[in-house]
Amino acid sequence: MFDPIMEQILAIARDAWAFMAGLLVVVALLGGLYYVLQGTAGAAFGASRMTSMAIIGVVGLVIIVLFAFLFLPQIGELLKNFQPKAPF
Amino acid sequence: MSEASSILLTFLREAWIALAGAFLAFTLLAGIAQMLRVSSASVLGANLWVWEAVSALLSIVVLGLFAFLGIPQVVRALQSSLPGTGGCGPISELGTLASGLIGGLAALRMLKAAFASMLSASIGGPSTFANALIECGEALFGMILASAAIPLAAFFLGTC
Repeated sequence: MFDPIMEQILAIARDAWAFMAGLLVVVALLGGLYYVLQGTAGAAFGASRMTSMAIIGVVGLVIIVLFAFLFLPQIGELLKNFQPKAPF
Repeated sequence: MSEASSILLTFLREAWIALAGAFLAFTLLAGIAQMLRVSSASVLGANLWVWEAVSALLSIVVLGLFAFLGIPQVVRALQSSLPGTGGCGPISELGTLASGLIGGLAALRMLKAAFASMLSASIGGPSTFANALIECGEALFGMILASAAIPLAAFFLGTC
């Protein structure tokens, strides 16, 4: 009875997921570019702290993106396994 | 009466399954929305925004676990306390129908509250976990009241 509605909702959710995953990649790439610029600028005029902060920023950004793309699907699988039948 | 009860409960069960599926989809969307907030805030250097997003992500996971593990247990526990038969004849059938429907509607209401909270989080708003819990509490209170009302109605309308 609710299958057609469910299909529509899932189609919208899939589109939204693809959009947000793409947006996350774009934001991460822009952030990475910013950190590369910061690091090269720091290296150019001898600001070692600025360069090291930029390297840490890039590493943190990579960790965040990996976390998003590896952790969230696992959480989805976990919740899918927990998905309850009607308790009544 | 039992056929009507069966049809209504089947309808509610299908609604539960659809709502649980949509809840799962929106949980993942809310998660990726918060991860987007974390990454953009960390690039901008907005520490507070990062911690807000991290706490929202944690609340999404907790809300998901509560909806899928907590709500069914609460509903089962309360439904077992609902008196199904309060006499004999039509009043007994009516009591059985009422207890089934009350349990189904309360379960759906709790899941709907959790779903609304998750929907809010998936569009970047606050997860309003407290509102979901308040609505669940209201549904529980309604079930407790009903568990007292059904025997009273059976007493006044006639028992064997």
